[in-house]
Amino acid sequence: MDVKTKAEDFALFGGKPLFDSIRSTSNLVRPDFNKFLTYSRIFFEEGQYSGEGPVERLLDSRLAEFHQAKHCVSFCSGFWGLVLGMESLALKGRTEVVMPSLTYRRLADAVAWARLTPHFCEVDPVGLCITAATARPCINDKTALILGVHPIVNCCDSEGLEALSAEFGIPLLIDAVESVYETLNGRRVGSFGRAEFFSLHASKFLNGFEGGYVTTNDQSLAEQLRALRNNGSGSDAAGHMPVMNGKQVEIHAAMALAALDDVRNQVELNRQRYYRYKTELASVPGLRLLEFDESEQSGYKNIVVELLDEWPISRELTLSLLHKDNMLCRAYYHPPLHKKSTGYATISGDLSRTDALALRFLTLPCGFFVSEKDVAQVCSFLRAISSHGAALAERAARVS
Amino acid sequence: MSASVSLAILGGAPLFERPVEIGQRYFPAWAEYEGMFRDIFERQYYTNHGPLTQELERRLTERLGVKHAICVTNEFIGLVLAGQALGVRGNVVAPAHAFVGTVQSLAWTDARPLLCDVDRETGMMTADLVSPLLSSHAVAAILAVNPWGDACDVSGLQALAERHGIPLYLDSSHGFGCAVAGEPMGTFGAIEVISLHSDNVLGAGEGGVVCTQSDELSAHIRNTRSSYGMGRAVSVSKTGNGRMSEAQAAVALFNLDHYAEYQQRNARLFGMFEAGLANISGLEVRVPTGVSQSNYQNLILLVDEEVLGLRRDDLWKILRAENLLAGRGYYPSPGHPAIASYASKSRNLPNSEFYCARTIELPMNQALTELDVARVIDLLAAIQCNGGTIRRKIAELM
Repeated sequence: MDVKTKAEDFALFGGKPLFDSIRSTSNLVRPDFNKFLTYSRIFFEEGQYSGEGPVERLLDSRLAEFHQAKHCVSFCSGFWGLVLGMESLALKGRTEVVMPSLTYRRLADAVAWARLTPHFCEVDPVGLCITAATARPCINDKTALILGVHPIVNCCDSEGLEALSAEFGIPLLIDAVESVYETLNGRRVGSFGRAEFFSLHASKFLNGFEGGYVTTNDQSLAEQLRALRNNGSGSDAAGHMPVMNGKQVEIHAAMALAALDDVRNQVELNRQRYYRYKTELASVPGLRLLEFDESEQSGYKNIVVELLDEWPISRELTLSLLHKDNMLCRAYYHPPLHKKSTGYATISGDLSRTDALALRFLTLPCGFFVSEKDVAQVCSFLRAISSHGAALAERAARVS
Repeated sequence: MSASVSLAILGGAPLFERPVEIGQRYFPAWAEYEGMFRDIFERQYYTNHGPLTQELERRLTERLGVKHAICVTNEFIGLVLAGQALGVRGNVVAPAHAFVGTVQSLAWTDARPLLCDVDRETGMMTADLVSPLLSSHAVAAILAVNPWGDACDVSGLQALAERHGIPLYLDSSHGFGCAVAGEPMGTFGAIEVISLHSDNVLGAGEGGVVCTQSDELSAHIRNTRSSYGMGRAVSVSKTGNGRMSEAQAAVALFNLDHYAEYQQRNARLFGMFEAGLANISGLEVRVPTGVSQSNYQNLILLVDEEVLGLRRDDLWKILRAENLLAGRGYYPSPGHPAIASYASKSRNLPNSEFYCARTIELPMNQALTELDVARVIDLLAAIQCNGGTIRRKIAELM
């Protein structure tokens, strides 16, 4: 039975919301409480609550192992880990960072904090990500760094970007925030490029309250990052670069370790949700689910659909309907970064493909708070939009 | 057996079995920790300006008598957000006797530190010391430091900044609970940033609070910190993640409830140190003088090497060998490479160097007992009595 049978049933037009509390696209996984306490006990016994404490050291070694990388350095957030990573890796005397525009809304800001200039490239229309082919035209004698970014479903071609990096002698840093569990040609994300960085924000794959980390096989880079995040102390590794306090908090590290212990279970639950979406959405015309590449390992966390030409209403109206019925869905990376007004310079050429893609996708509810039954309801809701599209559009036009 | 022979640095057993560290490290007892985190796990609200962070901001606003108290993940990021909100570029006057992070925060807003010496009596910056720099240089702002539960010449600096039409902002990392002429720290300058690192009296594990009376500056900082809790939307040149988590806020709220107890405990132990060390020549306990109330969170000694008969660094090594993990204050500022390589130009900074060369910080933390304090005093008395002998024996070891 459809959850909404006429326009008036939608909360936007006065109906009762489908969900009585928010279903969002944030992961918000609750790890096992006793595990959290067990890890907390370690710093508690030492009386050390911040600053390269015992739990953070354990987390760094566990994450390095998890990502099959030689080193891991954690930070108070992925954002500042990225900033320090760029600062460390950017070629001296050069200014530009080649990066996609269709990506995380704060990513260009991080580049600006590192005193570099974003140079936006196109994305691949199928993978929705930067590739060697889309990055190549943006490389010039000012390029200091290539910032690869994994999209939120599947991975970008890190090996292709590595080859490009080698060809031009420009370091490659990868934003792997959305690909914690993924593999590429069977190899775990975490050791590609010069370094990869991740987030431990509660909404992400691993919930550490807040925090982030950088993985690398480069020992001198790891040492440099440790010095930079800790006010330059402990070594000459910081060089003459600006240092900061970007250290991880022990409680957050304890949380992240508890989350890491629970990963397989969470992936299984994500997979079940994803499969339910896949089954249900097959009968919703006008929507295309972005499918995970099952030849690789996936975390199955994010659910993204494309609104095809036959979808009856605008994405804007679709999102308004979803929001009012308590589904906090998001337009997929809209607006793209080159369309945002910023207090710093950016460089972009023709990004018409990005412009077009930025209008077509949206994310659907996922994560710990979303049950399989919820998934069925979300899909039923979308089916109802598809069935009553003309009435909804007409009703919306009248209201506005 | 004489103290000189039994010192750990000369082969004796350490005075303390386990390392005794500097920094306050006040933290909930285990049962309380478990309870507060059980609540968070039930609420499932982990970050993004959650209910505990909102409550902490409300409580700090009331407590400090300031219009806006913006909680952030650490004080350094608070200073950077403050600098960006003030739009400081170019020269910023900052004390040469300061933590490296204070000065380095300027690098992130494209400002340069113009180092100012400190007063010989207080170790802090004064309006009289800053004033000549404002005449000789184009200066965008003054970044002052209130160290060690004490306060610099805040009213003089405020008046000076106003006369020159530039903002004064303050790094009051050690200042929670202190007051100047009855006014709480947090209310001074255009922006005042207080650390909630566990080393300070109000710890959040790690954290900071940015205080301001200005709606405009507050909006700028909130909009830069995160999209959650940003209030009125304003345009900022770039955002930067500065969020405080619910975990940090929970610990800070607990410690805020217990602040009076911590302050009294600090004051009592501080008083014991002050009395016990009064007759040890060559060691002077630095007593907070610029404040009407202090948190007494830092026990700072100034070493007179001539009188004590020992070098400061030897005393520091002796104490550390006893598992008494003393600090050396802001050493090696201003000689720290991250400061020296970056300051506008090297200047004559005799008083800053004086403090960096003489400071010893003794532990003042949650685990320290009155008996421990008595043992530390006895140790220092023994070291002072045998300074010459110890110096010779240490020299033989080198």
